[in-house]
Amino acid sequence: MSPFEPGDRVRVLDLGKPGHVRTPRYVRGKTGRVERALGEFRNPEDLAYGGDGLPRRGLYRVAFDQRELWEGYEGPAGDSLYVDVYEHWLEGA
Amino acid sequence: MERPHDLGGEPAGPVDRREHEVEDWERLTDAITIALDRKGVKTTDEHRRAIESLPDYRELSYYERWAAATENLLVEKGLLSREEIDARAAELSRAWGER
Repeated sequence: MSPFEPGDRVRVLDLGKPGHVRTPRYVRGKTGRVERALGEFRNPEDLAYGGDGLPRRGLYRVAFDQRELWEGYEGPAGDSLYVDVYEHWLEGA
Repeated sequence: MERPHDLGGEPAGPVDRREHEVEDWERLTDAITIALDRKGVKTTDEHRRAIESLPDYRELSYYERWAAATENLLVEKGLLSREEIDARAAELSRAWGER
């Protein structure tokens, strides 16, 4: 059922959603690679306001190239940053 | 729109790595917050949302944020009123003779 598989290229959506979200702004609009699927969890954006968080949403560990995230990044090429992102924040890229 | 905890990539100085003794009120704050979670009164996500909603987030220490967020959630859920919390705090302050 999982829409994404390890190795898939994905882009993080910029949903402009107010309130409690767990997608840091520095990855929004950025492209990364799915490292692995972490399972399905109740949606924290709904739980945060007293909801039941259902339906459960897939959570993915996404690897980003540091040079893609930070302008002028001076670390070694190949450095990655991993962020866990819920599926409704992702689209295929 | 962006919440104060979403700091990644902002200019910042070095991380303050000094340790400090955990104070009694900090232990209490931790215990009460976790107990309320375990009893199903609130969720971790509500706790995080309440912390991020604090207007003085940047001025507060870690457990000051926890205490303020827990107070706000208890009031929001109608379990305690501000007046009850303030009255109890004043009572404890008199009994303990400080703060």
